[in-house]
Amino acid sequence: MLSRVANNLYWMGRYIERAEHFARYSKQIYFSSLDAPILKTYDRNFVLESMLYMAGIFDMEGMPERDVLFKIGMDTSNTNSIISNITFARENARGARNDISTELWEAINKYYHLATSYPQEIYLTTGLYDFNQIILDQTSIVSSKIYGTLLHDEEWAIILLGMHIERALQIIRIINSKLHDIYKIEQVGHPVNEMSFEWTTLLRCVEAFDMNRKFYRTIPDREQVLEFLMLNPHCPRSIAYSLNGIRKYEAKISRNENQESNTISFKIGKLYEQYRYLSFDEYKDDIYGLLNYTQSRITEIGAELEKKYLSF
Amino acid sequence: MKQQANGVLESYRLGNSHFDEVFKDTKEPKEHYQSIVERFNQLSLSDFERINNEVKTAFFNQGITFAVYSDDKKPDERIFPFDLFPRIIPNEEWINLENGVIQRNKAINLFLEDIYHRKLILKDQVVPADLVFSSKNYLKEMVDFTPEGKIYTHISGTDLIKHTDGQYYILEDNLRCPSGVSYVLSNRLALKKSLFDLFDKLKTKTIYQYPEQLLEILKTVKPKNIDIPTVVVVTPGMYNSAYFEHSFLAQKMGVPLVEGRDLFVEKNIVYMKTIHGPIRVDVIYRRVDDEFIDPLVFRKDSMLGVPGLMNAYRAGNVTLANAPGTGVADDKAVYHYVPDIIKYYLNEEPILNNVQTYRCEKESDMKYVLENIDKLVVKPVDESGGYGITIGTTLTKEQIEEVKVRIKSNPRKYIAQPIMSLSVHATFIEETKEFEPRHIDLRTFCLMGKDTEYILKGGLTRVALRRGNLIVNSSQGGGSKDTWVLD
Repeated sequence: MLSRVANNLYWMGRYIERAEHFARYSKQIYFSSLDAPILKTYDRNFVLESMLYMAGIFDMEGMPERDVLFKIGMDTSNTNSIISNITFARENARGARNDISTELWEAINKYYHLATSYPQEIYLTTGLYDFNQIILDQTSIVSSKIYGTLLHDEEWAIILLGMHIERALQIIRIINSKLHDIYKIEQVGHPVNEMSFEWTTLLRCVEAFDMNRKFYRTIPDREQVLEFLMLNPHCPRSIAYSLNGIRKYEAKISRNENQESNTISFKIGKLYEQYRYLSFDEYKDDIYGLLNYTQSRITEIGAELEKKYLSF
Repeated sequence: MKQQANGVLESYRLGNSHFDEVFKDTKEPKEHYQSIVERFNQLSLSDFERINNEVKTAFFNQGITFAVYSDDKKPDERIFPFDLFPRIIPNEEWINLENGVIQRNKAINLFLEDIYHRKLILKDQVVPADLVFSSKNYLKEMVDFTPEGKIYTHISGTDLIKHTDGQYYILEDNLRCPSGVSYVLSNRLALKKSLFDLFDKLKTKTIYQYPEQLLEILKTVKPKNIDIPTVVVVTPGMYNSAYFEHSFLAQKMGVPLVEGRDLFVEKNIVYMKTIHGPIRVDVIYRRVDDEFIDPLVFRKDSMLGVPGLMNAYRAGNVTLANAPGTGVADDKAVYHYVPDIIKYYLNEEPILNNVQTYRCEKESDMKYVLENIDKLVVKPVDESGGYGITIGTTLTKEQIEEVKVRIKSNPRKYIAQPIMSLSVHATFIEETKEFEPRHIDLRTFCLMGKDTEYILKGGLTRVALRRGNLIVNSSQGGGSKDTWVLD
């Protein structure tokens, strides 16, 4: 596989995954707030701030809702908007068009056209749910084409490697955003035992609510949710699961070369094993510390992958 | 209820004085179109528009599009207009075309070998030596170099038209990077999906083997001492207007699509940069023009090329298809001599007609051209895509004077031809929601390898969508049709 093509496929995977997380977060946070039990959460500004925090935009606090929604969803001058991510995903796919299946290309191309032709005014007035749902549905179609219409070889592995790196980073981002929200709620004096709503919302933001219910069979609380989203190896929206994906797909690309201590494989393996043998008690007092540590390790691994494989 | 009264072709009006491919003067369909016309007449306008829209959406989602850039907005993506009514060529007619195209391309290939080696045809004064040496597409880097299998034009696109007399004429040769074959294959697929029962009415020859044949042809010219060659397609990149075609062909052949920056040359060997290191490349189907392929030899500012590629090529370590320097033979002034070239090398009479061509460089021709410019088409000899062409009947007095000045300032650059009356074909026009006669031409695709050749059965029928327009190039607002050669 050409390094340039690998670069395209890797970033295609990352942008597809990123757009999906942004869309899901926007949708969940916004709509769950409409009948929230806690007054603070009910406040629209609070919700918009949370969306901005997740999207990494820090200069729009207090701006009108329309402007915020536009910036996050459809602003092409914001390189991190949902539309921009989809555009980049499609451009990367286009540059590697003959290396992916016709079916996958058409799914991504159709996704791009559906999203970019969505009427702005409708998105800003009545279409917020609909637009974000289109993103989620189209992502599912694209994912199924990735699994079902590509040979499971290196090219496939590099797309999934990109997707799992991005997923781990986005989950960390979402947890961070929600912890930030909860911190703000606590600051105004709400008792923590009223917080199950916030923990539920966090689970929904990564589509893990039903899985969590099934696993614990109790009302979600802080410990349970943070353990689940960080450590559970079977929840496809956990950090541990994403790390396993990174390990698996990187191994396919590195062809299981010697795992000496300075290789990328070694670094990935180390982080993955750390998560495997971690218990909540060990990090419950420093959640942010662990999230930050994980984030920098993954970013570092991403940079090394790019250097080694994607920039001949 | 029979819908015949509302059939989509009922309102068709014959164009005057042009050769109509579909209908006789009595408005009866010609024999080979009968069953297709009947089928279309079973469709009401709304049926037809529905199918037409479905096809357009499919093309759009498949990304068979080109971008139109305006201001700072996101580029507007448009599909190449595709007309659902196929163009049909009876088998006898096709056989003659096929033989003629192969004959012509064989002779042209021999001509190229000759002018880059012994130059016999110039010494025998069949073709003026000046004409060849003054062409900017005659490359000194190719002199005395023999490409593998003595093949220069692995892929050629020969453009033909049918005149009022019902005869085919060669309009031009495209010997550099002729494009359009991906549309031929996509058009067929689109028609099969949307109007599949048409294929029960008539039996058309299949075209799907083209990419396989192309790959086979490219493998026949692999460098010596290479067993299983690595073939790649080189594209200028995804912002090139033919990028769809480049990726399409690479995908269908199952070979990598690379850009210049994906390749490098070391010790006269070409490599591509992969995630596991360099891999040697043996055959390059390049869709980058000569002047951009190697910045060390040609344009220094080329970002699309590969430094050192020409040396690797001349060392025999890599094959380029087409060979550099073929543009000298599709020069429109050389075109005039192709019938003589055929006689000279093959000792055969040309099977297909040339259009009468006046070379402005020749004094008597120049005189005729200047006096009759309002009745002639004037073309620059070395442009493609329909650029720079003027058609006498459409010019104002001032424009005629401008053209005269242009010709006089550089006679070598211009040729003139009588205005050929391209045949017309019923074509659906979206603005009037009716089928109307529109001018068409035909681009054939001929492949040549070591001791083997292949011609695509049919080709790209291009259609000028604006009424009365004679220029069919897609860059000038042309569309296309599926082309059937009957079995």
